[in-house]
Amino acid sequence: MRERDLMLLHYITGIGILVFGSIHVATIFFTYPFQDTIWETTLRFDSIPYAVLPVYRNALLAASLFGLLLCTTVHAMNGLRSIITELVGARKRWVEALLFAVGVFLLVYGTRTILIAHSLV
Amino acid sequence: MVEKVKFKVFRYRPEDGGKGFYKEYEVPVKKGMTILDGLIYIKENIDPTLSVRYSCRMAICGSCGVRVNSLETLACHTQVLELKRRVIRVEPMRNYPLVKDLVTDMTPLFRKQKALMTWLIRQDNVEQENPTKQYLQSEEELERYLQFTYCIQCGLCYSACPVVSTFPDFYGPQPLMKAYRYYADSRDEGGEERVRLVDRFEGVWRCHFAGSCSAVCPKGVDPALAIQLLRRSALKG
Amino acid sequence: MLARGVSRSSVIQSLKVMLIPGRYGLERWSYVLQRVSGVVVSLYFIAHVLETGNFVGGITVWSVPDYSFAERAYEETVKLLKNPIFDAGLAVVGFLVALHTINGIRLVLAHFGFSLGRPRRPEPFSPPPSFSSKQRALFWLSISLAVFALLYTLDSLMKVFRP
Ligand code: HEM
Ligand code: SF4
Ligand code: FES
Repeated sequence: MRERDLMLLHYITGIGILVFGSIHVATIFFTYPFQDTIWETTLRFDSIPYAVLPVYRNALLAASLFGLLLCTTVHAMNGLRSIITELVGARKRWVEALLFAVGVFLLVYGTRTILIAHSLV
Repeated sequence: MVEKVKFKVFRYRPEDGGKGFYKEYEVPVKKGMTILDGLIYIKENIDPTLSVRYSCRMAICGSCGVRVNSLETLACHTQVLELKRRVIRVEPMRNYPLVKDLVTDMTPLFRKQKALMTWLIRQDNVEQENPTKQYLQSEEELERYLQFTYCIQCGLCYSACPVVSTFPDFYGPQPLMKAYRYYADSRDEGGEERVRLVDRFEGVWRCHFAGSCSAVCPKGVDPALAIQLLRRSALKG
Repeated sequence: MLARGVSRSSVIQSLKVMLIPGRYGLERWSYVLQRVSGVVVSLYFIAHVLETGNFVGGITVWSVPDYSFAERAYEETVKLLKNPIFDAGLAVVGFLVALHTINGIRLVLAHFGFSLGRPRRPEPFSPPPSFSSKQRALFWLSISLAVFALLYTLDSLMKVFRP
């Protein structure tokens, strides 16, 4: 892909993260047990098993979560590519291949988690 | 009133190799005296082996770029007492091959300018060499690029750029700014060709808007602005 | 190619240039912070995908497991993650995400040529048009929201600001 298209994708996925990330945070924030604050139940990991997960049993939320996964993976791998290339001082094929592989793994593994959490598989 | 200020000057002799070292000189300083005056004082009175490059001594020729206390500046445009320091560190610019002491080789800057064709491009060469009429510009058309014509090619921005430091193939602020200067000129017919030249991995995409170029430019040129405007054109495709 | 004759810096030298803003001002700080936050949040993202993967049973599980297995996997992951170091880490990530996001919006605007000043005749002592007040305001907004996110997360996790 041309550098221009990659960077255009970087900006678009950045905005995508903003949108889907807001939904993601709002899900955690507004949905589950309001004993104290929702941060406490989710961030401290001391809620009941699958505390957050039932919330995700919604195909639309699953889709938005997948959107977040996709955008973040593309954005993060492209950002790291830029930083590592500039750090090494030259373009390296192995850097790009490695980041591509990591990205594919994150996408596959993350999608699996989303599908299981939504009881879709 | 005369004050004593310590100049800590970077020294490097190519025949000795190595990394170079700092040498300290005591310089008597009066109000109005510039870093360049101080360096010339050292050369004339203390150590004639010190090499400095300068010409106009009035911030016009762009020969005397150095780093003073870790900030790029024209030696002739910086007054010693305004720095309000007892010790002043003077180093050569970064991102250029070192020739000797404070003198750097500016070739990379000029080579990159050439690669970006930083001159007026016209399709009709005959007319360009022997124009048959005037090519008028409106005030507005002039304002679009005028700021970028103030550049004196001192190369300070190129030295301050963190991307050039880490990734030397990057075209750098001054050459890209110069490319935009012609791109924005209503008389220029480079157009798409110019965008194609900067739309490369080493081109506008490597700029992360760290703004160090515009922060140090002694002429208020704002290369960072030119690069963003150039990138805007490249994004439009 | 273009860098013929210039010796490439070592990775250590380059790291210094990337991490030390020096005296170049606000925009250079933004460059350093955007990079650091980008890398740290990316690492967090990778860890987050692995960790949520463990919540549902780890890499060997590829369909919905039975409840008792899920409960055990969940408890094990909770045990691993529930400690003050991860809590503090999460507060830092909250800070960096808020910073990176708002500063990211600022950079998207700048890269597309919006919110910058127009080219104008240089005048002594006036800042470059690209360091516009809109751009500066967005930068400080990102810092403010980042600090808010940090305090809020710390408060939720450790009840530092509550009696
Ligand atoms: C989980 C969330 C995110 C991660 C992991 C992430 C990761 C990264 C990384 C690693 C970089 C490279 C830094 C650099 O090139 O200087 C970067 C840059 C950037 N990010 Fe993000 N980012 C995230 C969210 C966002 C959001 C929400 C936005 C904006 C809407 C955004 C906009 C940008 C921009 C504009 C850059 C600068 C690109 C450049 O300078 O060429 N990012 N990000
Ligand atoms: S843009 Fe400014 S700093 Fe850069 S070479 Fe021109 S005058 Fe010097
Ligand atoms: S000597 Fe000419 S710019 Fe300083």
